[in-house]
Amino acid sequence: MDVLPDRSEQTPLAAMLDAARRELTDQSTRGQGGRAAVERYAGRIDALLQRLYADAPRPAHAVAVVALGGYGRRHLCLHSDVDILLLVDGTIEADDERCLTGVLNPLWDLGLAVGHQVREIDDFVRLEPDNPEFLLALVDARPVAGDRALFDRVTTLFRRWDTHAHLLDALQQLADERHAQFNDTFYQLEPDVKDAPGGLRDLTALRTIGRITGPGLLGQAAVDRARLDEAEDFLLRVRSVLHHEAKRNQNVLSHELQETAAQTLGYAGSQPQQRVERLMGDYFRHARVVARALERARKTAPTPVGPNLVRSRDGIGFLDVQEAASRPETWIDLFQTALDLGAPATDEALTWIGQHVTNVAAEEFFPSAVRRDALLACLRPKPGLYARLSEMHDCGLLGRMFPEFQAISSRVVRDFYHKYTVDEHTLLTIRNLERLASPPTPSQARFASLLVDLPAPELLVLSLLYHDVGKWRDDDHAVESVRMAQRMLERIDLPRESRDTIEFLIRNHLRMSIVAFRRDTEDPEVVKQLAALAGTEERLKMLCLLTLVDVSAVSPDTMTPWREELLWQLYIDTYNALTLGYGDDLIEQNVPGLAGLLANRPADVSDAEISHFLAGLPKRYLQLFSEDAIYRHVRLSRDMHPDEVHVSLDRRDSVWELTVVTLDKAFLFSNLCGLLSSYGMDILRGHALTNPNGLVLDVFQFTDQDRFFELNPDARGLFLHELEDVVRGRSDVSARLRARERGALARRVPRSAPTVHADSHSSARYTIVDIIAGNTLGLLHRVSRLMSSHGCEVDLVLISTEGQKAIDVFHITKGGAKLAEEAQQALTADLQRLLEGPDEAD
Amino acid sequence: MKLIKSIIRPNKVDEVKDALTKLNISGMTVTEVRGHGRQKGHTAIYRGKEYNVSLLPKMEIEVVVPDEIVDEAIKAIIQAARTGEIGDGRVFVIPVSQSYKIRTGEQEAL
Repeated sequence: MDVLPDRSEQTPLAAMLDAARRELTDQSTRGQGGRAAVERYAGRIDALLQRLYADAPRPAHAVAVVALGGYGRRHLCLHSDVDILLLVDGTIEADDERCLTGVLNPLWDLGLAVGHQVREIDDFVRLEPDNPEFLLALVDARPVAGDRALFDRVTTLFRRWDTHAHLLDALQQLADERHAQFNDTFYQLEPDVKDAPGGLRDLTALRTIGRITGPGLLGQAAVDRARLDEAEDFLLRVRSVLHHEAKRNQNVLSHELQETAAQTLGYAGSQPQQRVERLMGDYFRHARVVARALERARKTAPTPVGPNLVRSRDGIGFLDVQEAASRPETWIDLFQTALDLGAPATDEALTWIGQHVTNVAAEEFFPSAVRRDALLACLRPKPGLYARLSEMHDCGLLGRMFPEFQAISSRVVRDFYHKYTVDEHTLLTIRNLERLASPPTPSQARFASLLVDLPAPELLVLSLLYHDVGKWRDDDHAVESVRMAQRMLERIDLPRESRDTIEFLIRNHLRMSIVAFRRDTEDPEVVKQLAALAGTEERLKMLCLLTLVDVSAVSPDTMTPWREELLWQLYIDTYNALTLGYGDDLIEQNVPGLAGLLANRPADVSDAEISHFLAGLPKRYLQLFSEDAIYRHVRLSRDMHPDEVHVSLDRRDSVWELTVVTLDKAFLFSNLCGLLSSYGMDILRGHALTNPNGLVLDVFQFTDQDRFFELNPDARGLFLHELEDVVRGRSDVSARLRARERGALARRVPRSAPTVHADSHSSARYTIVDIIAGNTLGLLHRVSRLMSSHGCEVDLVLISTEGQKAIDVFHITKGGAKLAEEAQQALTADLQRLLEGPDEAD
Repeated sequence: MKLIKSIIRPNKVDEVKDALTKLNISGMTVTEVRGHGRQKGHTAIYRGKEYNVSLLPKMEIEVVVPDEIVDEAIKAIIQAARTGEIGDGRVFVIPVSQSYKIRTGEQEAL
């Protein structure tokens, strides 16, 4: 190959290559084949490719000629492979192929060792994780000829944090494997200047780590960089001699070649041995610099952990602060990632945020619903939340995101109880909540069970963050806190229902502690009032938790076990008042909320319609549903005839909501539950209500774990059609469900001893049956079917789940009255048998 | 002198304290306690499961008063703590034989 053709017969291309090779050969033999020389040679090969591309037939699609690997880095020695990627913007057609061969064939004819890859752009949408060498070669990719925009698109697809994280792993593994071949030492008597530890590949690995994890983050001082540059130049000069002498891609500095190399590189010494020793002394000095630098980089290099985010030993930081500066809405992602990985934010990142946060307005953090939801996700109680929020507070981010919170920064309110400033007290309430995730005492475990049950605990955290902001003034702080929270809620554009919950919690954040510790909680009227205030179990649970963590954050001694007990007792009594007695408390004229409901009604719903629909429903209905939901229910109840069913099916995030309005009939509730279960739906929460006219309103919230609705375009229609059949008695749910149950047997949830409790005293109108059991598929269907088969009417049902436990409360009657003692015992025994029977067994 | 020890409902502490203050009895010890008397706790049901709340949270107020106002103090406590329902609590009166000030070691005249 090194025999150059006679110049008189050369084509212009061959002449170009010949000139390039002669130039590099000359420099190599003078010991000057270092970085400048190989870069010039690479530049000449670029020119050759540019000419070839210009002369090649025009392609049908855009084509880019891209230099990869060593050629991409411009480290091209005399016999190095010329690695190129030919990129096509679409499916390769005949014209494209002609263009590609127009580039490739002459290269082969010229005798160059070409390593080529032809790829369509779609190949890059999903990069090949099992080909780390190719991915690494792409790190050094640079466009040589053709369409630059096409190259830029591929670069965008490639430069992703997850690809980089994968690359970093691959790089570490490849380096380990390569070093193992050399017994993990760079003190080789006949070193491979490319592959041995401390060689050119290590240098490349080092630079790659720097490029994908941020050069600044490697902590390389200028003096280190200069020493590395010097080592690189030395290794390339040696390599150029080796290629020239061996006339092939030879990188081992063998004993024989050491003498030649020493002489070529101009080492002094009267004896060859002296010159060789000096050469090798230099070699080991440079190899040590490279090997140690790589070792350090591998230990300290941060790992990409998210878009523009890296993890170092100090924690989570930004990769590129310029990019971070242009997108403040992504700063919350740093803290989310830190929470996910159980790491802190780095001091460097916090300092940087502190320096830049004053340039950002509160609105800029939440420009869209997506960013607002990212914030809410970040506020879900989990270990580390207090620490991250404290970091955000200390660097000024929290106060900038929530200017209202800034008002209580270091605020001192003197009283007999509080031991901390208002801002720290607030953050401590959140720490107390996050600690419930792994409760330290059994007495706290009962409160932890309430937290597990909350569908949106982040709303509680947001309420805690704002519950005392009104303390910047000395007046009634709860009212002021609500006013300030409303500004924030408006700014982040939270849905109405969530806003109501937050405002409710802040407004009433002192109520439950006042009742628990200062009122006669044995007075049923006191409990009833608290139940009426809370309205729903969900709000009661949130209020109870808020009270617990708020009082506990006043000082370490404020929440005594004694107070905890009082609070828990009050919670239970109020919970029972909410779930057991509500069937007796029916909507009448002048009930609170009714006037507002009538006043705000949309034009298509009349007063009479609303009043007729509400008559005889429990008061609780008005608290369970938003005004909009109630108007929807009224519309669904129009023109109802026997066997007719009006339905709506909506989705919010991962939870679906099915609303069914129809006229009551035996087994109706059981069949609806069974239908949902037969489609594999997991019923999380729900309410079944019946009014005295026999109108039934059932609302189920469920998750579609098999993604049936999502993956099947006609699933909705099919399901709703099936639902009509079930209501009309044209379809047998039990048969459908049995097939599904058999399939589900393999993935039963862990079993806990079921509880059945019947009570005919708590309500004037109903026998109440509490069921607590493992949340197995079809549970509600089986339980309610058994009730119906006992001749009971299922009038009201509250459905909830707590982790993998189902907690269902049925209000039932038989022949329009509470169950007689005998009937109640028979039903309870049968239910117990059902829940303990083989169908429910694991 | 007598030590009056009252076990009362937690929500009655402020009223009892106020009633005693009106009699110029200002020194008192208030302790959170748990226990039961004839009330013997009760059975609570939460989510279908019954459990006994045998030790109920109560407050204990201790005051030491001169013999001449003992009756008045007892009357004031009972009046303030009474609801008429089971669980209102108890008042115990215990004779005090000696009393010392810790700071000075001085024995107080009884």
